Amino acid sequence: MSYKMNIQKLNLFYGDKQALFEINLDLPTCQTTALIGPSGCGKSSLLRCLNRMNDVVPSAHIQGHVLLDGKDIYAPSIDVVELRTHVGMVFQKPNPFPRSIYENVAYGPRIHRLFKSKIELDEIVEKNLMRAGLFQEVKDRLTHPATRLSGGQQQRLCIARAIAVNPEVILMDEPCSALDPIATAKVEELIDELRAKFTIVIVTHNLQQAARVSQQTAFFHSGHLVEAGETGALFTTPRDERTQGYITGRYG
Amino acid sequence: MGLFCLVFALLFLGGIFGNIIYKAYPAFFRTEIATQVGQTELLNPHAPYHAHEKRAWITASDDVDMYYKHNHVGKLSSQTIQLIESLRKQGQIRLVFNGAFFTHSDSREPELAGIWGGLVGSILTLIVTFLIAFPLGVGTAIYLEEFAPKNRFTHWIEANINNLSAVPSILFGLLGLVLFIHFMGLPRPSALVGGLTLSLMSLPVIVVSTRAALSIVPSTLKEAALGLGATPLQVLFHHVVPTALPGIMTGVILSLARALGETAPLLMIGMVAFIGTPPSSFLDPTTVLPVQIFNWSRSPEMGFVENTSGAIVILLFVLALLNGCAVLIRKKFEM
Repeated sequence: MSYKMNIQKLNLFYGDKQALFEINLDLPTCQTTALIGPSGCGKSSLLRCLNRMNDVVPSAHIQGHVLLDGKDIYAPSIDVVELRTHVGMVFQKPNPFPRSIYENVAYGPRIHRLFKSKIELDEIVEKNLMRAGLFQEVKDRLTHPATRLSGGQQQRLCIARAIAVNPEVILMDEPCSALDPIATAKVEELIDELRAKFTIVIVTHNLQQAARVSQQTAFFHSGHLVEAGETGALFTTPRDERTQGYITGRYG
Repeated sequence: MGLFCLVFALLFLGGIFGNIIYKAYPAFFRTEIATQVGQTELLNPHAPYHAHEKRAWITASDDVDMYYKHNHVGKLSSQTIQLIESLRKQGQIRLVFNGAFFTHSDSREPELAGIWGGLVGSILTLIVTFLIAFPLGVGTAIYLEEFAPKNRFTHWIEANINNLSAVPSILFGLLGLVLFIHFMGLPRPSALVGGLTLSLMSLPVIVVSTRAALSIVPSTLKEAALGLGATPLQVLFHHVVPTALPGIMTGVILSLARALGETAPLLMIGMVAFIGTPPSSFLDPTTVLPVQIFNWSRSPEMGFVENTSGAIVILLFVLALLNGCAVLIRKKFEM
């Protein structure tokens, strides 16, 4: 199995407080990895290390390595802006730009000049809305403000926006926590389809969701990676007591 | 109780405005007296039509104006009053719209004085204020809010800016006097110095209001753009500033409106002088509307009382216009 990203001996600090301890985790190419664990266990922090979103937190600093295709993304020669075109992100709350639906998807291609003509841009927008399963619902109102879409549609628009810059990895930070069950089902379906092309890392509080959408699952507890493995195996035969306790609902 | 207070306050407000408008209303009219011209045969036949009229309407002096409008006798002798009364009977005296009030500049004669010079001066001064305070203030706010490291030095700067916005305006006048006139030697009562001084006063207000507008831009919006690989500058100019723009513009316009009505610092830098011609450049001697009002209000002639009220109405109108713009901008950009 090939690995898209490798996390090696990663330590994350917020000021004096250590948030992650010696994390080692490999992310298989074109598979979904679910990060689970109780609140404050560091799973979202780890996710934000993978595209260096922690850079905006002035007190944050890390030790260790995160490799993308074998290259350390924390090396001084790495351009953070370019890195983020390879590693896209979808956030917990749908956060479309207060612009039209079209402009939301077109924004990434625009700032990275991924098209030559207006027609090409139209195609990019259409293709990515289609991939996010949103095109049929919004094709007649592409110029309408994105903020008027429903929560589930907004989140799928955010996914369309993220994949429009052709990333290789998509990071999802509890993408369904603000959605109703029907919208959640649609997004989960979408994640499963996207796996064909993208390596996906999803943080979730919903264990059923982790079981449904992921091939690999990693369980975190107070900044430590307790155990990681094939999803089915981790849920049925956890090796660690703490994992067992968490997935059977003894704490969480 | 709250409603009662509101009605009470509105009554006062209505009283003030009513009084000002009642006092100002006659300022927009002036008395004219017909004088015999005759001799039309001496004019060339192509002379403008009105030149062939047997009489011409000439603006009356302010004393006559006051008597005709308000029956105010003042210094008029009884003979003059009889003369006016006979003119009135013959229809040789009339009240017309006072266009000169809008097109003339200041004058020693109230019937010839107008607000044009003050209005042009105010506009020129405000342009200088805007050109300096807007980019500098918004730039400072963006730097402090988005880029500056949070350390003791920037905290100290922030505290000082907040304090500056509460400093009495006359102190800014003193600063302007020392800095721009004594130290830099700029021409004294010019729109340039006035604008510079007012921009000193507006700067802290603009910085504070712009920072407030920037700080309420949701961080999720910035993260969304960063996550797409936007550079910090792109995040700033594509998302943060456009989102905060209504708030920024409202703050800027309101601070400019305050600068427009400001008098004290301008008196300090010598803009109190009598200026009979409208300024034609930023370096010409200039007066502004509020200073014009201040000057007229100190004049003893009855006619200037009207002019004062008239100019106040114009100033209030311009201020209402500016504030209206702020409201419109806010409405337009709200999604």
